[in-house]
Amino acid sequence: MKSILKMVSVLSVLCAVAGFVLSYLKMSTVVPIENQLLTYVQGPAILNVFRDAENDPIKDRKSFIVGDGKKINVFPAIKDGKLFGVAIEGFGQGYGGDIGVMVGYNVQNDTLVTIDITTHKETPGLGSRVTEEGFIKQFKGKPYQVALKNQGGEIDAISGATVSSTGTILAINNAGNDYKALKDEIIKTWNSGAKNEFFQGIHQRSVE
Amino acid sequence: MSFFKEFTKGLWNELPPFRLLLGLCPVLAITKNANNGLGMGLAVLFVLVLSNMIVSLVRDIIPKKVRIACFIIIAATLVVAVELLMQAYAYPLYQQLGIFVPLIVVNCIILGRAEAFAAKNPVYLAIADGLGMGIGFTLSLTFLGAIREILGAGSIFGYSLFGESFEPFHIMVEAPGAFICLGVILGFMNYLSKVQNRRRGLDKKNVGSACSVCGGCTACSRGNASA
Repeated sequence: MKSILKMVSVLSVLCAVAGFVLSYLKMSTVVPIENQLLTYVQGPAILNVFRDAENDPIKDRKSFIVGDGKKINVFPAIKDGKLFGVAIEGFGQGYGGDIGVMVGYNVQNDTLVTIDITTHKETPGLGSRVTEEGFIKQFKGKPYQVALKNQGGEIDAISGATVSSTGTILAINNAGNDYKALKDEIIKTWNSGAKNEFFQGIHQRSVE
Repeated sequence: MSFFKEFTKGLWNELPPFRLLLGLCPVLAITKNANNGLGMGLAVLFVLVLSNMIVSLVRDIIPKKVRIACFIIIAATLVVAVELLMQAYAYPLYQQLGIFVPLIVVNCIILGRAEAFAAKNPVYLAIADGLGMGIGFTLSLTFLGAIREILGAGSIFGYSLFGESFEPFHIMVEAPGAFICLGVILGFMNYLSKVQNRRRGLDKKNVGSACSVCGGCTACSRGNASA
């Protein structure tokens, strides 16, 4: 009886210490991990989406709060001194996990500039074909809410990978909802007279 | 039982992947290039030294019956810590190593050293053991990775060695290349120790006091004689 108590207490204490250490470490690495993700995962995708932006969309990003308190990053692209588009990352359930899609919007007419897949765990050679040019280029210039052909939309699913295709569509539409909810705020943030001041503030902060 | 002796045994006599043949899963899977080998080796080194240290510190508190569970908790905590730190400061390496970082938890070297050494020895010897084994593991992985990278991609640590005209030996960076390299290295190391033993006047039958207990060598040579 005594030995059982000792075993239980030793294991509990050990687990408690482990849990405490890990939760502390998790909290203190949130910011660097986000920066690394921006550099290595989202960064290349954003540059793919806005090849001819005059600014650095990653440096000029701003986070907004949508509806239920979810924090999302919005990446602006400036062309000819004006806000041309924004990129928002959305997630949708695919076959092997969440599919992350960076979606670029043209703020003038609410259409998609283009999309790029940031993260996915789809089956190689099958579901992973959502990252191929042939699938992705279909989204160019489409309205911000899209659907597959069998759902009454205009996007061809990848044959044999319906779940992955649907997941991608879902991710785009999730990003679309965020975009719609934030559009007024986005326009206000980057197209108002305070724009220059805002950018200076951002740059200063990033220099510091 | 000196600090130095415990440290150096992991570098040659009990070199983990090539002598003890422990922890072969990452050895074969991630040594596509020298960089990955080095990164994985350092991650294991970090986990191994700390896990040996902690296990040795708490060895008198832990009840015998739950010691394996305790060792695994310690190793798992350290591995998750490494995973988080790697994500925070070396993201490309994390992307390359992928699933093999969390799998360090079940790497036999970690649990093996905790059970066989750290749980029975004082802290400073446990650290020496962890350092030696970890450095041995790192060097082995880097070495294997370098060989495979040179042959399979014509570069080392990402720097091109032979210029444009080099036709890479592609199989070396694929899975079969790992087995071929490992086999050749093992054969070479066995040959080397045989030569060493002969020079010292030792023959196969009494390689060391610990080995004679098993009796496998005599059984084997008897088998050979009858064949």
